Amino acid sequence: MQRTGNGPPVIELAGVSKTYVSAGVETPVLFDVSFRVNCGEFVAIVGGSGSGKTTLLNIMGLLDRPSAGKVHIAGDEVGNLDELGRAGMRRDRLGFIFQFHYLLPEFDVLENALMPCRIKGPAFQAGQERRMRDLLDLVGLGDKLKNRPAQLSGGQQQRVAVVRSLANNPALVLADEPTGNLDTRSGRVVFDLMRTLARESGTTFVMVTHDDDFALEADRVIRIRDGRIEDSARTIQP
Amino acid sequence: MKLSFFTLSVALRHLRYGVGQSLLTIGVVAISVLLIVYLRTTIGGTQRSIVGNVTGSIPHIVLEPAERTPVGAWRLPAGPGAPLYVGETVNLPRGIDSIDDWRQWLPALEADPEITVVSPVATGNAFLFRGARRESVRATGVLAERHDRIVSVEENLLEGNFLQMVTGDVVIGTRLARDFGIRMRDKLRLIGPGGQALSVTVAGIYETGSGQLDDGQVFLTLRDAQSLLELGSAISSIGVRIRDFYQAEVTARALAVSMPFRARSWIEDNPNVFRTLGAQDQTINMVLISTIVAAGFGIASILIMSVTGKYREIGILKAMGATPVEIQSIFVVEGFLLALLGCAVGIPAGIGMLEMLSNVRAPGPGGRLTPVFNIQIDPWLLAGAAGVAITVGVVAAFFPARRAGGIDPMQVIRGS
Ligand SMILES: Nc1ncnc2c1ncn2[C@@H]1O[C@H](COP(=O)(O)OP(=O)(O)OP(=O)(O)O)[C@@H](O)[C@H]1O
Ligand SMILES: [Mg+2]
Repeated sequence: MQRTGNGPPVIELAGVSKTYVSAGVETPVLFDVSFRVNCGEFVAIVGGSGSGKTTLLNIMGLLDRPSAGKVHIAGDEVGNLDELGRAGMRRDRLGFIFQFHYLLPEFDVLENALMPCRIKGPAFQAGQERRMRDLLDLVGLGDKLKNRPAQLSGGQQQRVAVVRSLANNPALVLADEPTGNLDTRSGRVVFDLMRTLARESGTTFVMVTHDDDFALEADRVIRIRDGRIEDSARTIQP
Repeated sequence: MKLSFFTLSVALRHLRYGVGQSLLTIGVVAISVLLIVYLRTTIGGTQRSIVGNVTGSIPHIVLEPAERTPVGAWRLPAGPGAPLYVGETVNLPRGIDSIDDWRQWLPALEADPEITVVSPVATGNAFLFRGARRESVRATGVLAERHDRIVSVEENLLEGNFLQMVTGDVVIGTRLARDFGIRMRDKLRLIGPGGQALSVTVAGIYETGSGQLDDGQVFLTLRDAQSLLELGSAISSIGVRIRDFYQAEVTARALAVSMPFRARSWIEDNPNVFRTLGAQDQTINMVLISTIVAAGFGIASILIMSVTGKYREIGILKAMGATPVEIQSIFVVEGFLLALLGCAVGIPAGIGMLEMLSNVRAPGPGGRLTPVFNIQIDPWLLAGAAGVAITVGVVAAFFPARRAGGIDPMQVIRGS
C-alpha cells in the first residue's frame, strides 16, 4: 500500500492566491500557496482562526476558485473546468467531511452513507453497498443501518459522514474540522476511524484541525499563518 | 430537467418524509381539479338544458329563401352629373317566398359533417275552423320522421301519434286542443292564405312545454301543407340540426356563403340566451382560474418551505457533485408529483360526485321522473383539468427549484 512520498501527487497547488472582493472591498486571504499531497498521505492543516484554512480547503475541493495560481488534481489542471466539470470532478474524485454532518433526515444511515453513489447512479450504488455496509460495521454502526440520522448521537452521525466521504472511492478526502463539533472522546473516536479508514482504503486525506494532538498524529502538518504556508513539516517518518 | 434515479428517489423521499404537508397540498390540488371537473360539467349540462329548451322547439339553423330586396334607382349612390329620377315609392305586397329547388340542395346539406338532421318545411299562417269557431294558427307541413329529430313531438305526445301521420292528419298542441275543446279524431277545417281549404282529422295531441309550439302550431304532412299554402312542390324553409349548437352561428354563416339561402341560427334569434350563457361561462372560468392559481401557490409555498428547510442538505448534495439541474429537477418533480396525485384524487372524486348528481331524479313535465341534471362527462375536460393542474404544479415548482439549484455549497460550509 502506498503511504507517503513516491507516486504522483493527488493534488498539487502552485502559487495559489485568493482575494475575496465584496462590495468593492478586497480581502486578501491566501498568498502564493504551493504544496503537493502525495497518494495515501494523511495531511493535517492547522492555523489560527481566520488564517485561511477553510478557504484553502474549498479551493482544493473545487468549491471555490483561486484568484491566481493553479490546482492540479491527479495531474489534471482544473482551472479550465466549468461548473459542470467541477461538479463531475467532485462527484468522481473527491470526498468531503464537514464540521457538521449534514446527513439527510429523509434517509437512513446506510442510504446516507451511499448518497454520493446515489448521485452517480443506481448501478454504481449497487456495486458499493457491500463495501459501505462493511465500513459502517467497522465504525461500529453495523446495527444502526436502518436508523434515521436523528436517532444517532453526534459522534455516530459524524462517523456516518466519514464513511459517506469514502462512498465514491475518492482519490482525496477533504475534511474541515471534522471533530470540531464533538466532545473530546467522540472526536478521538472519529479521528481514529478516519486514520484507520484512510490506511485501510489507501485514500489520501487532508484534514483541517484545531487539535494539536490530532495534527501530530498526521503524516504531515501544513501550518498556515495569515494566508501563507509557514511550515509543512513531516511529523512521522515512514 | 434531469430525471434520474437520484433526482426521482430524493423527490419521492422528500414527499414521503413530509407526508402531512404533501397530503395537504395534494388535497388543495384535488379540490381545485374537482371544482373544474364538477363545475364545468354541471354548468355545461345546465347550459345544454337551457339551450336544449330554446332549440328544442326550433331548428338550430333555418334556411330560408334569400331576400332579394329591390333598391330604388334613386337610392343608388349619385355623383355629379348623375341622372335625376322623378317618381314615388310604392309598397308591393310580398308573396310567400319559397324554395323551389330544395330537393337539389338536400344531398349537399346531408353530406355536411356538422349537420345531423335536415328537414324541409312548408309553413304559413292559416285559419283553423271547428264548427263556427275560427282560430289563426301556424300550419307547418313536415316529413314527420325527419322533423321529429329537430323538434321532439313524438316523445311529447299525450295521445295519438306523430311519426305515422298521413295525408289528412293533423297533430296539434295541447293548449290549442284545450282552448277549442278538440279531442282525438275530431274533424277540423283549415283555410290557407289563398283561400284553399283542407279537411283534416286530429291524429295526435302533444305537450312540449313550449308555448309557441303547444298553442299556435299545427303539424300536417308536407304535401298537405304545400297544397294548403299553394306552394306547389316548393317549400318555405329548411330546418337544420347540427352537432354542436354553440357553433350554429359559424355554421350558418358558412351555409349562407355556399348556398343561395339566408341562414338564420338560433343564436341570432336568441341573442340574450347566448349572451347570458357567455357571461355565466366567464364567471365560472374566473372561479376556476382562481382555485387553480391558489393550488399553484399552495405547491409553490410548500416547496419554498422545503427548499429553505433543506438549505444545508442541498448545499452538501451539491458539494458531493450533484449538478444545479439535478437539484432543480428534484423540486420540479415534487411539484409535478403533487399535482399528479392531486389529479389522481380530484378527478375520480369529481366523477363520483357527478355520478351521484346524475342519479338525482324529480318529476318533470307530465309527472315522469327525469334526471334533474344533464350530466355528460367529457373525457377532454378531464384531460384538460389534469393538464392545467400539472402545468400549474410544474410552473409553481420552478421558482423554488431554481433557488435550490443556485445554492452555493461554500455558504453552507461557512455556516452562513
Ligand atoms: N466570502 C468572503 N468574503 C470576504 N471575506 C471572506 C469570505 N470568506 C472568508 N473570508 C475571510 O477570509 C479569511 C479566512 O477565512 P477562512 O474561513 O478560510 O478561515 P479559517 O482559517 O477557516 O478560520 P476558522 O479556523 O475560524 O474556520 C477570514 O478573515 C474571513 O473573514
Ligand atoms: Mg474554517
